[in-house]
Amino acid sequence: MENSLKIALLCCNYTNLAEREDLAQLLGGVEIKRYPCSGHIEVTDILRAFREGAFGVMVAGCEKGSCHNVKGSKRAERRVLGAKKIIEELGLEPERVEFFYIGRLDSGDFVEKAKNFYGRLLKIRLKEKAQ
Amino acid sequence: MIIAERRPLPEILENISAYKKILVLGCRGCVAVCSAGGDREVAILAEAIRLGKALRGEEVEVLEKTFIRQCDPEYLEPLREFEKEVEAVVSLACGVGVNLIADLFPNLRVYPGVDTSFYGANLALGEWVERCRGCGDCIIDKTAGLCPIARCAKNLLNGPCGGSQGGRCEVRKDMPCIWHEIVERLKARGELERLLEVWAAKDWRPAGGDGLRVRVREDLRV
Repeated sequence: MENSLKIALLCCNYTNLAEREDLAQLLGGVEIKRYPCSGHIEVTDILRAFREGAFGVMVAGCEKGSCHNVKGSKRAERRVLGAKKIIEELGLEPERVEFFYIGRLDSGDFVEKAKNFYGRLLKIRLKEKAQ
Repeated sequence: MIIAERRPLPEILENISAYKKILVLGCRGCVAVCSAGGDREVAILAEAIRLGKALRGEEVEVLEKTFIRQCDPEYLEPLREFEKEVEAVVSLACGVGVNLIADLFPNLRVYPGVDTSFYGANLALGEWVERCRGCGDCIIDKTAGLCPIARCAKNLLNGPCGGSQGGRCEVRKDMPCIWHEIVERLKARGELERLLEVWAAKDWRPAGGDGLRVRVREDLRV
């Protein structure tokens, strides 16, 4: 389907309480993996999500100043940069993985950003197909 | 320490394109400290190889291991258990480790996973800067501990070139002119006249001009 693709959402346990049902509009498959802190999300977790079939990976951590572990979300943001470099070297668009700061325990913010990211991924795939 | 940087993934993948079972081998020495070849980097490269191979529609089994060091035969001994199990090794050690594996395991195909860059200091998280070139004939006793071989773009031995301006290097404007710093430091110490001494010509043989460098200490051999 043109508007269907699989995405992985890797996030801190405290950023949101969203469930798959909240993201039911995203067709194709949504994998939510929660970690004790977004600082615990490794580059390998992002790469593995791609290998397991995700077209895009969204990494989410608590907004600046609200991370329980102080620098966890900052670390996650940096690791996404590392993952971008790797997937680009492997021939994938670096925009297929992004980091998002999310209001702590704000599921609405999380779902909104996931939907926006999903839309951007659809455009990337359309562009891919057009080439 | 020795600073290294991961090689481009397309090159690594090309080197191992024929193999279905490989070992990514890290080193807990210098390359672990400079975040190029320790346990975490082994895991990342192994996963990148799995993804890269999957994107090419190729199968691969990637084993992961990190040794204490790869520049010492003793610590490479455990590699024997992998010798028959894997078709190739991607080593994340510096070039010393890769060479030693090639020496000790002539039947094992070993490929470098990093480029060995320089001897450097870790000035901040994620930032390493060259501080020594390993030329084997140290002159920093005369230059206030600052090395013009490693830190001057022209390796000058007799003061700043005519191109430095405002204390900055003309080749690398983001770098200070090290000769400017040497002069300023010696001047502040009242030791500037030390630069008027005539030095013996620098011996470049220990820098590699005399072939392979070997050091033997009989007092340590048993």
